[in-house]
Amino acid sequence: MTFILWNILIVSGISGGLALLLVLADMFIANYGECTIDINNGKKQIKVEGGSSLLTLLGDNNLFIPSACGGRGSCGFCKVKVLEGGGPLLPTEKPYLNAQELKDNIRLSCQIKVKEDIKIWIPPELFSIKRFRAKVAKIEDYTYDIKGLTFKLIEPTRIEFKAGQYVQLETKPYAKNKSTVSRAYSISSNPDHEDILQLIIRRVPEGICTTWVHDHLNEGDEISFTGPFGDFVIQDTEADMFFIAGGSGKAPIKSMVEYLHNHGSKRRMVYFFGARTKKDLYLTEHFREYEKKLPDFTYVPVLSQPEEGSDWDGRTGYVLPYFQEFMRDPAKTEAYLCGSPGMISAVTKELKKLGVPEDRIFYDSFA
Amino acid sequence: MKQTPKEIQIIERMQPGILTRDGFLGYDERHLNEIIETDEGELQALGITAEEIADRMDFFTERAFDSYDGPIVIEEQFQVEYKSFRGKLVCPFMHGGGYRKGIIYFTNLKHNFQVQWTPLNIHLIREHHFFQGKGSKFRLEPRILSKVLF
Repeated sequence: MTFILWNILIVSGISGGLALLLVLADMFIANYGECTIDINNGKKQIKVEGGSSLLTLLGDNNLFIPSACGGRGSCGFCKVKVLEGGGPLLPTEKPYLNAQELKDNIRLSCQIKVKEDIKIWIPPELFSIKRFRAKVAKIEDYTYDIKGLTFKLIEPTRIEFKAGQYVQLETKPYAKNKSTVSRAYSISSNPDHEDILQLIIRRVPEGICTTWVHDHLNEGDEISFTGPFGDFVIQDTEADMFFIAGGSGKAPIKSMVEYLHNHGSKRRMVYFFGARTKKDLYLTEHFREYEKKLPDFTYVPVLSQPEEGSDWDGRTGYVLPYFQEFMRDPAKTEAYLCGSPGMISAVTKELKKLGVPEDRIFYDSFA
Repeated sequence: MKQTPKEIQIIERMQPGILTRDGFLGYDERHLNEIIETDEGELQALGITAEEIADRMDFFTERAFDSYDGPIVIEEQFQVEYKSFRGKLVCPFMHGGGYRKGIIYFTNLKHNFQVQWTPLNIHLIREHHFFQGKGSKFRLEPRILSKVLF
């Protein structure tokens, strides 16, 4: 009996000693001290306390690398080029990197633990990305599965962006979803209204963020987002403009049309909005108003499957056959597309067939 | 059942709220390996491989992508429709790349039977023989797929 008790005491003592050693090791050995993160060859240098992920440390210093999973290594979006330091590539990163990226030493910033000085390179436009806090000022039901959201900015109080850009909205924990994710949504408001931000969000079955927006977010709630991101923006020319976007793809087009109106644009514009049935149409009156406000703007809703017996007397089928009717000079036409890869591909093919130069077709693909 | 660190990580990624709202395992309490092995056994009994099923799903999916958001009928017997959403889904087994976030609605007109899947489903079936856990929204039954896809 005494022998057993002694054994238990010895084993417990050893375990306790090892636990204490681990705590001490964490305090002293794993103390990486101050490290320097050099970004874009000295453009910015930040001093940080080592030990956290590169993504976190950059975020703490107001440098926001796009990430959808909140740093859990499950989205593969937070890529940066490591010029020096960073330790060896981890097995958790490899699946997200292609051969060229591996060769270029592209890494997932959420998987790099900063333990020493590190030099990285990021796209220069990321320097202007900010994190915003805002209040939900209005939630509107546009259709059965699309909502329009208006946020009033709290901090910073103003946002500068270009029509066509997007932000990453951060969810809050709800129901079984205990952590935060970020998802990209195009901004639908006019860039001239710098104190508000609008988004158009369609419910995605099984979607973590869209379920939160549709079922859990209320007017008056506080939210956070980062941005602006993206290069799907209006080209500074006088060319005719074709907008082609259905569903929530209407968001960047709304922003563009409102911006162009505010700046007195005289460009010829046609917006083809493809939908299935009448219940998929929204903001129709809004765009009809812009037909009156702008000197040469036409809104063309097209229904592919109008309900039987419906009073729809507009265009039917797909939008493609109607392009020619509105095309003045294909060589002097720009197209702005937002939607599924299938739609982008079909529309691009048709526009090229009509003579629109490929380098004048701009798109924001859902893929 | 003993789990490797990688298995633990994969199972974590399959939980609700990590990659999708409700996760990949539904109410299935079996170990991931057991789910996969049971479905592999069923495929063997049916005399079909996961690759053959994935190939057929790929065929319909490609046609659905091309259909530009409207339903199309293939071989006079199958109707497919693709609903697209913004973004990509990643593989819980940590394969690289992303899979289009969209749903393929497939109807076998002869049997009047409908199933739905995502591009990620095809990858999970082809590469991992994983048809998802019972009760998962995108669980696909090998027995049903073997009947309706061909």
